[in-house]
Amino acid sequence: MIQFKHITKQFSDNFVLQDFSFSIQKTEKVIITGRSGIGKSTIFKLLLGFVKPDKGEIWFEGKVLDEKSIWDFRKKIVYISQDLNIGTGKVHQLFEDTLSLKTNAEWKTESLNTVNELLSQFELNKTILDMSLEDLSGGEKQRVAIINGLLLKRDIFLLDEVTSALDKSLKKKVSDFFYLHPTFTVLSISHDNYMPENKTIRTLKLD
Amino acid sequence: MNGAPDLSYVSMIFIGLLILIPLAVVHFLKLGIAKNLLVSAARMTVQLLLIGFFLEYLFRFDHWAVTVLWFMVMILVAVFSIIKSSKLKLNYFILPIFISMLISNFMVILYFNQFIVQLDCIFEAKYIIAIGGMILGNSLRANVIGVGDFYKSLRKDENLYFYKLSLGATKLEALLPFAKQSFIAALNPTIATMATMGIVSLPGMMTGQILGGSVPLVAIKYQIAIMVAILASTVLSILLSLLFTLRISIDKSGVLKKDYFV
Repeated sequence: MIQFKHITKQFSDNFVLQDFSFSIQKTEKVIITGRSGIGKSTIFKLLLGFVKPDKGEIWFEGKVLDEKSIWDFRKKIVYISQDLNIGTGKVHQLFEDTLSLKTNAEWKTESLNTVNELLSQFELNKTILDMSLEDLSGGEKQRVAIINGLLLKRDIFLLDEVTSALDKSLKKKVSDFFYLHPTFTVLSISHDNYMPENKTIRTLKLD
Repeated sequence: MNGAPDLSYVSMIFIGLLILIPLAVVHFLKLGIAKNLLVSAARMTVQLLLIGFFLEYLFRFDHWAVTVLWFMVMILVAVFSIIKSSKLKLNYFILPIFISMLISNFMVILYFNQFIVQLDCIFEAKYIIAIGGMILGNSLRANVIGVGDFYKSLRKDENLYFYKLSLGATKLEALLPFAKQSFIAALNPTIATMATMGIVSLPGMMTGQILGGSVPLVAIKYQIAIMVAILASTVLSILLSLLFTLRISIDKSGVLKKDYFV
């Protein structure tokens, strides 16, 4: 479904990726590991077209990702970044803004009706809707970002350290939710050692 | 119109004496800015003298082509200033911002001359240079905030912008929150000035007109007109500057071109 073909990316004198090839199939779950600074997050940024490769191509559903097709690709994935710079203002406003984007507006009402259910699923209180994003703890923000992503009703997930600030039981809960989901395709960067009992899960170690 | 009386050489000497007060304070408090103060005062005097002779010639000659040309030079200087304070690279941004400033300032000043003052010749030098200069000065200030802050916050919060794109936002949808913030920041000073105008300060233009012999009510009408004109050119110039610069500063996949900035 997604294919990296001989990707090379250099930042100043530092090669982050050299002749990197990799592919992920539909509904497959892949965990990317490796020491920090090795370019794990760069893989996502390359995929999303935020960073351009020096060499090589990325393919999605049989088409090369270029400056045109990238816009459609961005409508099919859920990306949750490590720094969680997802905006300011109230949590409910974030959800509404996300679903007010032209491409998501179709299921706005339907998705907003699932917010309460998602909140309780990820152990957040309803009162969080009226809180400001700036006032949330790291763990709360991670779960709000996950919910914001799930509202999009998409099934390809690019998760960059989304459980790093969660406690043990929540880590398991969130990881199981994604890794055991029958239809989700998940590409996840993680330092956590937790892995569910799931034969289809694959680890990609960068070094 | 009875102009204000000319200031004689004796008057100029008294101006020179008046500057001794700030100078003395600076000296006794050891503020260490005496030299700066003197250099600035000297620069002001020389610059204004030169521009005074130049304007006298310009107003007397009053040819529309020369007036328009000089106004374009004024715009160009303003554009340099915007680009420099906004930390943009001159070679990429000079054209879009120049065109934006040209359109917005000319449109407003010509509208002002044609429909508000109803001049016989809308290119009359006095109006283009003096009123146009006030409009231009304000759109310069507003663009420094509007355009400068826009790109600064876009670079600082690039990850937020990327996040919006990843949610499926179009370029416009992802950029709009940033543009809104910049518009508000750029317009706030003008709105605040309008709210206190006449009470906190009598604006320079009104003072000038009253000294020039206009009755206060006439001066007030002009002042209202000029404030609205400033507001119009401010909004228009920021809008056009953002529209024109975004065409070149963002690539087709929606990513800001980092090498376009200082």
